[in-house]
Amino acid sequence: MNDLERERLARELLERSVADETEVFVAFSNAALTRFTHEVSNQNVAANSVEVSVRAIVDQRTGVASGNAFDMLSLQQLIERAAAMARLAPRDSLLPRLPAGTPAPPARSAYVASTAGASPEQRAQLCEPLFSAAEDGGCWCAGYVSTSSFGVTIANTSGTLSSFDGTDAAVNVKMIARDSSGWAEAHTTDVAAVDAAAVGRRAVEKAALGAAPRSVEPGAWSVILEPAAFGEMLSYLTSHFSAQSYEEGSSFFSDGLDRTYFGENVTIYDDWSHPLAPGMPFDYEGYPTQRLALVERGAVRNVVTDSYYAKKLDRENTGHALPAPNAYGPQPMHVVVAPGTRPATEMIASTERGLLVTRFWYIRPVDLKKAIITGMTRDGTFLIENGRITSGVRNLRFNQSILDALRSCEFSKEQLRTASYGYSLVAPAAKIDGFNFTSTTEF
Amino acid sequence: MSKEAAARALDRAMALGAQFADVRFETTRNERIEVRNGVVAALADASSSGYCVRALIDGSWGFAASDDPSDAALDETAALACAIARAGARAARRRIGFPPPRGYVDKYETPVVRDPASITLGERVALLLEAERLLHAGNEVTVGRAWIDIWSTTKELHASSGSQITQHLLQSGCGIQAMAIGDGDAQTRTFPGDVGLYQSGGWEIIEKAQLRENAPRVGEEAIALLHAPQCPSSTCDLILGGSQMSLQIHESCGHPAELDRVMGWEANFSGTSFLEIDQLDRLRYGSPNVTIVVDNTLPLGMATCGYDDEGTKSARSDIIRDGLLVGYEMSNDTARAIGRESNGCVRAQSWSYAPMIRMCNLSLLPGDVPFEHLFDGVRDGIYMESNRSWSIDDRRLNFQFGCEIGWEIRNGKRGRMLKNPTYAGMTPRFWGSCDAIGDASSWFAWGTPNCGKGEPIQVGRTTQAAAPARFRNVAVGVGYS
Repeated sequence: MNDLERERLARELLERSVADETEVFVAFSNAALTRFTHEVSNQNVAANSVEVSVRAIVDQRTGVASGNAFDMLSLQQLIERAAAMARLAPRDSLLPRLPAGTPAPPARSAYVASTAGASPEQRAQLCEPLFSAAEDGGCWCAGYVSTSSFGVTIANTSGTLSSFDGTDAAVNVKMIARDSSGWAEAHTTDVAAVDAAAVGRRAVEKAALGAAPRSVEPGAWSVILEPAAFGEMLSYLTSHFSAQSYEEGSSFFSDGLDRTYFGENVTIYDDWSHPLAPGMPFDYEGYPTQRLALVERGAVRNVVTDSYYAKKLDRENTGHALPAPNAYGPQPMHVVVAPGTRPATEMIASTERGLLVTRFWYIRPVDLKKAIITGMTRDGTFLIENGRITSGVRNLRFNQSILDALRSCEFSKEQLRTASYGYSLVAPAAKIDGFNFTSTTEF
Repeated sequence: MSKEAAARALDRAMALGAQFADVRFETTRNERIEVRNGVVAALADASSSGYCVRALIDGSWGFAASDDPSDAALDETAALACAIARAGARAARRRIGFPPPRGYVDKYETPVVRDPASITLGERVALLLEAERLLHAGNEVTVGRAWIDIWSTTKELHASSGSQITQHLLQSGCGIQAMAIGDGDAQTRTFPGDVGLYQSGGWEIIEKAQLRENAPRVGEEAIALLHAPQCPSSTCDLILGGSQMSLQIHESCGHPAELDRVMGWEANFSGTSFLEIDQLDRLRYGSPNVTIVVDNTLPLGMATCGYDDEGTKSARSDIIRDGLLVGYEMSNDTARAIGRESNGCVRAQSWSYAPMIRMCNLSLLPGDVPFEHLFDGVRDGIYMESNRSWSIDDRRLNFQFGCEIGWEIRNGKRGRMLKNPTYAGMTPRFWGSCDAIGDASSWFAWGTPNCGKGEPIQVGRTTQAAAPARFRNVAVGVGYS
């Protein structure tokens, strides 16, 4: 369903609505993924779907109904169901009017037609160099190749009409050798830009470098976290920048903004237009998303808001709403960490003794306010001695405050788009001293 | 969906060269209400209908899904499934897909005592508003939440083997949560368990939870935790409450016993497993007290159904018997690879997702010790309840779990409350230290509504029935030192 068709549908539903205010959300998705293991596709899928969701507001009472049937009777019933739910809901005196705004045009690179039209054969062809890299490197591999396109239209009775179409192509592979493993991935909007052979080589190199891993003692280590590892760690801090967490007191900086928590070199912002991860220029209320400094030279500067929290906290609407109904408050969805000045190779070369971490696994919060998290290293953890990688090491568990980590760290000048559970983040590699490893495992 | 539509998709797939095909029609309705700090933050009613076709060609599966019910779309979806299967077969170095061994013609329906449709939206909202209000036992409670989820699913599976299976499934759940903030600390209490009470059935599940009755205590405990001493770091005996046991089973047995994971099918994402195939019938997983079964006929189980999404009939089978590894959670393809038959553990999140091995109802059988006698003989220990943090390595060995609340145990008696209780271990060593399990009176079907696995990631609903249990010499108070 293209943007014109979505907009036509949204307008028609708005015209039929009998609520005081109405928002219509139409989402289209065409997603395909070839998953493989041991050089065989074990899951090869494609799915088309369209969803329409109606938020009806009657006397500051809200109901949300959604469905995927598009005959007029079903759509009429959907509108009526949302309004009927709204009438039964309690009144929320803080509820603002639906926001009106015109977003900036999206980056042209956000949608690539050849990615949207990628065939099963193209995905199979992208698997081939990965399989060959595994065979040549004495490994077996598991991973996926995916291509997808998606479109969103949001319209409301305040006059907002915002549409966005995007594509995504990704390769993700783990190479498994006798006693080690390596991993690499690539995310882009353009399937033609995916260099599967390079991704495969990188993962094989890591597996080879990690062969015959040594055990090292847990404790405080200097670490260099590659972008995937650092990005995943940081993703457990981003919800602190929600106006809801800030207002409810669960954010680490709920005592006040404009205080310095981190080193001077730490700048984190939310930027939907970053060239490595061009995203939607508006939020799920259709309102323009601001490029916003969350942390500026170590000081926390802003929280992200939606129309509700903008009114509740008397702040500007920064355009970070999630889809209705949303009990989780506004969230930053395009987090970018500003880079440093040295390449990661120099950071390694200047490390007398430390660990290089490819990625983490199963990070979970341990303490919310102190932002302590735990997790495991995975698929390529290496010992650095006198500026050189000297061996692989067995995986370790860490317990680390993200706040402490950001107080004294250094970033590489390279940034990479990373992904975790559908969330994108642009991050450099990070060197952190005193990173707290607490135990080891058997591999 | 009509039989004619199913026949059309199947005929199309077989005409295009599929050696086996199935088509699954599915309609779901999800109702969600959430109250947060006196405001109805979510009042949602979502329905979705669609279908998927699986085609098997030259040992390779193709899967395509669509929400367009027209004849043309049925034909296109079947053809796309075949094209995907062919593309996969061309790239594959070997064959791994096989047709299911038999077909069934049958129906299944979740037993329901009280139809949720008989409860008005107003009554549901009123229940949650009242329960949430009662959580605010003091000013320190800055966040109160109360919620209800109801999932209704109708599935029809038609296969070229002759299967025609219709199922109507109903699952319900609810919960409350209080967060107290003070002195730079945040403490949370959730009830029931750590995610709420989730079971198969209707409104009787919501009534059983007794949200209003428990809300004041839950709010008070959240505040009390702010002022409780920190859980000490030591090695001592540990008693886990039932819901924390369900998490322990889920993470350290349920996931590693998924045979697709054992075979490397999840290696790049969810990971592999230490329960390797050459260890079957040999590996000492836990103490002789430990028997863990898959049972997709379990009353109230979230994964309880007549047939899985490959058309395998639900049954019970052992995974760990008297501490020994004896089985896995299996699909047709993976079971065949080890010379066994599927035990019906295949599920898909919805019509648009490919079916895969999911943890279903996987439960630790009860022991013979009344709950209160688990404390007998514990000179120095900690009792923990309600999960707050969970992490385990990608072979499921090194774990660290944290709970919302703990109490010290001194000389067989429960003592003062402890905050931030955590514990850690290596899976087989930990289960080897299990010397007592609560009896049937404390055994409960704890459901989890949000288990994630696969790429694209799928959310599954699962149950780990469990009783409280006792473990000796466990590292506690980890993560804070």
